[in-house]
Amino acid sequence: MKISKLAFVFLLSLLMVGCWDNTDLVDINIVTGLGIDKDEDGKIVVTVQIVEPAAVHLTSSSQAGSGGSSQTKPVYVMSYKGETIYDALISMKAIVDKRLFLSTNQILILGERFCKDGIDEALDFLHRNYQSEYRADVLVARGTKPEEILKIQPDMDAIPAMYIKGTAENTVIRAKVEQKKLIELFKEIKNEAKQITIGQITKVDDKTVKTEGIAVFRDGKLVGWLDQYQTRGYLFVTDKVDNTVISIQIPNGKIALEIKQSNAKREVKFKNGKPERLSIDIRLEGNIGEYIGKEILSSPDDIYKIEKMLSQAVKKEVTMALEKTQKDYSSDIFGFGELVHKYHPQYWKKAAKQWNDIFSQLPTDVKVDAKIRRSGLIKSPMKKDD
Amino acid sequence: MEKARISGLQLFMLMTGFLLGSRLIINPATEAKNDGWIAILISGAGGAILLTLYTSISLLNPSRTLVDILRHQFGKSLGNIIALFYIWYFIHLASLVFRNFGSFLVTTTYPRTPMEIIIAFFALTIIYAVNSGIEVMGRLSEILVPIVPVSSIIIGLSVVTTHDFTAFLPVLENGIKPVIKASLNLLSFPFGEAIVFLTIFPYLNKKKSLKKITALSVLLVTGLFLYIFFRNIIVLESNFIDQATFVPHVTSVLFPGINLEPLFDVIMIIGGGIKIISTIYAAVMNLNQLIGAANYRKFTTCIVMFSVVLSIWVYENIFEVFHWAGNIWFYYSIPFQIVIPVILLILSLVKKGRSQNEGT
Repeated sequence: MKISKLAFVFLLSLLMVGCWDNTDLVDINIVTGLGIDKDEDGKIVVTVQIVEPAAVHLTSSSQAGSGGSSQTKPVYVMSYKGETIYDALISMKAIVDKRLFLSTNQILILGERFCKDGIDEALDFLHRNYQSEYRADVLVARGTKPEEILKIQPDMDAIPAMYIKGTAENTVIRAKVEQKKLIELFKEIKNEAKQITIGQITKVDDKTVKTEGIAVFRDGKLVGWLDQYQTRGYLFVTDKVDNTVISIQIPNGKIALEIKQSNAKREVKFKNGKPERLSIDIRLEGNIGEYIGKEILSSPDDIYKIEKMLSQAVKKEVTMALEKTQKDYSSDIFGFGELVHKYHPQYWKKAAKQWNDIFSQLPTDVKVDAKIRRSGLIKSPMKKDD
Repeated sequence: MEKARISGLQLFMLMTGFLLGSRLIINPATEAKNDGWIAILISGAGGAILLTLYTSISLLNPSRTLVDILRHQFGKSLGNIIALFYIWYFIHLASLVFRNFGSFLVTTTYPRTPMEIIIAFFALTIIYAVNSGIEVMGRLSEILVPIVPVSSIIIGLSVVTTHDFTAFLPVLENGIKPVIKASLNLLSFPFGEAIVFLTIFPYLNKKKSLKKITALSVLLVTGLFLYIFFRNIIVLESNFIDQATFVPHVTSVLFPGINLEPLFDVIMIIGGGIKIISTIYAAVMNLNQLIGAANYRKFTTCIVMFSVVLSIWVYENIFEVFHWAGNIWFYYSIPFQIVIPVILLILSLVKKGRSQNEGT
């Protein structure tokens, strides 16, 4: 009796593991990239990049040299139109054979037209659906369509989405594009005190894309772009620079300085209950990474000179970013509004609606304090002694 | 009453698990947005007062369970009627937790499994646990409940590295009203629901430490609520918190590298499980005493079945669940959690005073 009971429990525990609807890997389409755009009629165009795991393996092994003549493509790209994102994704079954599995999505590419019409409400599906991958990277396609981006066939990686994600991720060492996860985008959409920014992606050729610069939004609508240097200025202000390399001109040559650490303090100075100016205080530390020149660096004074020039260079980039967003786009992408909201809630209640215009009128104080700590393996530049 | 005893530690764990319950899944004090911490502090203080009330009642009526106390203080017929209402309240509470539990798992982890199946399998375990008696429940919570705070704290520690520590500013932006509303809500769910424990208090082996145990439990739970609140607001910011259906689940999704969702499911199953077990046990024991049957186990299955069915029928959709939990539950609970206990305390004090006078 006891043994049969135990056996029953044992059997049950074997039977009851796992989910209600077990779906095998061969029965799903693994989505690695998602593109969303609008066509001329205002319909949503959804593009998916689907991976064929077996073919990925084939491709990589043929690259290794063993060779396979009858290989299929590792990825397929499919587009379909619909009224909403969900509608398009489900209707896409007309041209796609298996269930679309979205949880593996790595990147989300938004089209220019889609962004210009406003993304505030349009991304609801990706927020609501349980399969949505909140950690996917979001990028805006500039001058091209998302499907064109997803259709590239890079040599570096069998799966284009992974290649694109890689380029966006390595912003930690170059600070030229903002890496934005889907969940961070949702937070920004909900946040009325900071305008949305998303990294931009452009197509170079059929094998290459470039992720450089950011797209600037105002009230959820795409209003313009920042180039790579302005983007770095923006990243300096928002304290998102980890590592980067800044080149500065010196009288007899060039120096490339690697930034190792940067801390920024933002503040909105108030006077008589009204915002008076925006102050930005940046402290950064770096090393000499490359020096093409003749003068020998020997005394601390030489280093102080370079530190000053570095401060000037960073200040210039920050000022460029501030001017562009204030004058051209009138969009507070730096989140100064958040500071007003937090520390001056009374004023914020009145000013929240016009904050972007108020922000555009405020004068700015940029202070940069750069320190250079080390000079690498050699002290002096590569040159013959005179 | 069973012939059983539970230790102080076991009662502490049972109580902590009960109070944490499903509140770890539904963010505490969501209505107050970034002032939630004030609401949590207020409700923690209120919770301490409520639990002092309940423990005082229990200590004034030693080794009597809820039905006994009601009969003793209100007289047999009125006591029986009030006891019936209480039993209904406990069943309703259990069904609410069942439904919360089911909706959470269906929304996040098992989107294609019917909710009825999830709840039903959960109910089978509950029946088994309740039938095993209060001692087993005590030991069960002794083993399982420590997992809940420990894993919550670990989850919190691994997100503190980045993110915005000033997210709780500005203080009282929308005035005190939403804060009061949130704190009353949190006061009735979970602190006031500890009225269930009037059935369990008599099993404690050392009556002296009863007040100390409950006070410690309220302190720990309030602390954890605060911790969870700050964790969520630092990671998600206040705008986001009132939008997500199950806030901590979103927090778990944000972890770089690993998937922590199962950990949240475990927390939910332990917290919700302990809560339903205690509630069902109270309902079953009281019903048993009311009718005067010999063995309470006969009622367990039918009461669990009843509350499972109720949990599925009573709410049409998830918005009704949240509307009930957020707006109606508090008013519905006032007589059970505050009015009747206060009357009970006064009556007990009067009776005690009278008997002392007679004694001297």
